[in-house]
Amino acid sequence: MPQVKIIAKNFMDMVSSLPAMKLDKLYENAFICEAILRSLQPLAKKYVLQMLYIDTLVAAKLMEEWVLPDWFSKHRVALDRLLQLRIFTETVDRKKEKMYRINSTFQKNLQKLLVHGEVLPREPMPPNTVRLPSLEDLEAYALAQWEFFLLQLISSNQAERSSSISSAMLKVFKRGLLSQRDKEAPKLTESGFQFLLMDTNAQLWYIIREYISNSEERGVDSADLISFLLELSFHVTGEAYNLNTLNDVQRITIKDLADLGLVKLQQGRKESWFIPTKLVTNLSASLTDSSSRKQGFVVVETNFRMYAYSTSKLLCEILQQFASLEYQLPNLIVSAITKDSIYNAFEKGITADQIISFLQQNAHPRVALRIPSVPENVTDQIRLWESDRNRVEITPAHYYDEFPSREVFEAACDCAREWNGLLWEDSKKMRMVVKAEAHMHVREYLRRQK
Amino acid sequence: MASAPSKLYTGSSFFLSDKNNTHVFHSYSMFDFVIADDVSLLVVLMDTNPFFWSTFSLQFSDFLSHVLTFLNSILLLNQLNQVVVIATGRNSCGYIYDSSTTSDHGLETGTMPALSSNLLLKLEEFVDKDEQLGKVDSEGAIASSLLSGSLSMALCYIQRVFRSGPLHPQPRILCLHGSPDGPEQYVAIMNAIFSAQRSMVPIDSCYVGSNNSAFLQQASYITGGVYYKPPQLDGIFQYFSTIFATDLHSRTFLRLPKSVGVDFRASCFCHKQTIDMGYICSVCLSIFCEHHKKCSTCGSVFGQAQADVLSAANRKRKTLDT
Repeated sequence: MPQVKIIAKNFMDMVSSLPAMKLDKLYENAFICEAILRSLQPLAKKYVLQMLYIDTLVAAKLMEEWVLPDWFSKHRVALDRLLQLRIFTETVDRKKEKMYRINSTFQKNLQKLLVHGEVLPREPMPPNTVRLPSLEDLEAYALAQWEFFLLQLISSNQAERSSSISSAMLKVFKRGLLSQRDKEAPKLTESGFQFLLMDTNAQLWYIIREYISNSEERGVDSADLISFLLELSFHVTGEAYNLNTLNDVQRITIKDLADLGLVKLQQGRKESWFIPTKLVTNLSASLTDSSSRKQGFVVVETNFRMYAYSTSKLLCEILQQFASLEYQLPNLIVSAITKDSIYNAFEKGITADQIISFLQQNAHPRVALRIPSVPENVTDQIRLWESDRNRVEITPAHYYDEFPSREVFEAACDCAREWNGLLWEDSKKMRMVVKAEAHMHVREYLRRQK
Repeated sequence: MASAPSKLYTGSSFFLSDKNNTHVFHSYSMFDFVIADDVSLLVVLMDTNPFFWSTFSLQFSDFLSHVLTFLNSILLLNQLNQVVVIATGRNSCGYIYDSSTTSDHGLETGTMPALSSNLLLKLEEFVDKDEQLGKVDSEGAIASSLLSGSLSMALCYIQRVFRSGPLHPQPRILCLHGSPDGPEQYVAIMNAIFSAQRSMVPIDSCYVGSNNSAFLQQASYITGGVYYKPPQLDGIFQYFSTIFATDLHSRTFLRLPKSVGVDFRASCFCHKQTIDMGYICSVCLSIFCEHHKKCSTCGSVFGQAQADVLSAANRKRKTLDT
């Protein structure tokens, strides 16, 4: 479970854990500078901008004056992050005063961006040479491809075997999300289910992060891969780019990305090209943006009915993880949240908070305007069911009654107590409940009494 | 009836924008990751008054290049940031740039990035049109710009964004102004300021003219924005990036320039003059520089006839009650 929790904000951790040499190399690419700047916290961003045209060292004391005294901790966090990413460098002068300055490569690249705007590493192909799909078609393609990928994950045993997803990609997402005991069909792990409930951007980052982290095994430099991915994210959605402009490693990567729906590959008579989709251009958008979320489709009513306006097979599968399907119309999935269905979800390791935040994030625009978007009685009930599970402890036990006499009953109680196995007793009606592990001993004892 | 108008608008100012921000921040903290909403919509009102710029020490083109860099830097900070530029002319105002509708790619001319070329083109059109409108007017009008117009346009734009859905960027307005205040716009500007306050949109002002602008001081004070008059104009970008690039979220933590003294003087409704002391209508709060017999705004009768007006009003209320 913690494995998935960390990933939501983790791309930058991955970058900052790169060795200094690689980081400096990364900053030579202006797009990476931009993407990294965007992923910083607002305060850190602000500091970078403020320092952008300052070429001299700035004393730490002076910087401390920028921030209000109550919020000094925020300042520390922002500065630590910048130092960790080597955007700021720290020096100590003769008077032992700390001084900061901005990384010069980073600075130069950002200055260039500010003055000249973005210049893409490769020109789009002229539109008359290629037939471009419309933006809607492209988005539909990307989503279909991504859903197909997820569908494979959720119902890997029943999915069509004719998948085009390459072995490298499969290896990536099997790690951690799918567990396969020998000869059994692969099963989703707890984190796999949690993964499904995340929003698309977070899912994408999880997959990409895994893809990057095992790139070394495939003989690809992770820094190269990161820079290529970030570079791609700045390409324009819906334009065609020639595959000739890529090197061999990048071409293999592009094929993997096409399987996920991040780019669309097309072939002409002579040349072939790739068209970036929205998924890849969203890649550099910072993960923490709540506003990049797509439109929702779920309406939850106070009677625990759930209406999902969607045609997606994937969504149907996801909803079934915690709700029982009642009927399905061409564009509508009607299901009910019941105690059993929620317990089912808990069994799989999904938590109440995850279910609720999934419902809130995907609320239909009509209900999203309401506060709260999911009725309170439903969210409360889901939370209660969860706490119920924590409250009630199930212990296998045996029930005894019809004791011949009070003495025998008392003795049996004492015996059960001795084995630390007495759960409940009713001395009036002479009944008792004994834990399963003490049952053998009590039975033996009673037999001996006869 | 006479009172000191200088205290008129001080009591009502409060800094809701900060509160609002922290609220957003907390309401999301139940999720695993912290959502830092620094997505902002910046509406820049740029003074294009030729009478001001021709007499000013800083060339308009130099100023413009600083502004363009500043706009670029706002767009750089967050992918979802949005920038709108409204030109404040002498006789009219107009949108000259909107980052949400203009695609920054595709129109590349080679020598200049798309943002600048688009903006400059529109700006030129606007200045021409504005000049033509001016010819119709009588010569020798006051050299102030139509700030009230551009403020209203900005607020309209922001209202549209507010109504677009629950997830919208945090809007703020930045006035880059140089020309002196036009007292005849007093009422319109105050109304704009109060509607900005109501919708919790802070108005920042960067005033480059010679004296302080009372309008902008009040605007920033009332809406919780920052008023700043840069002492040095060579590196104006540094002021932009240090002060005005701060998103509303970070403003909670940062030390930003505070207003030292705000000029709360009002203009009278009758002669549009800035006054220190004057008369106020007790019914509708209109301000006059001299005693009138009747309020020109609401028609209440002043002076001796006051008792009659009051009793008439009472009688009306009574008839309504019964």
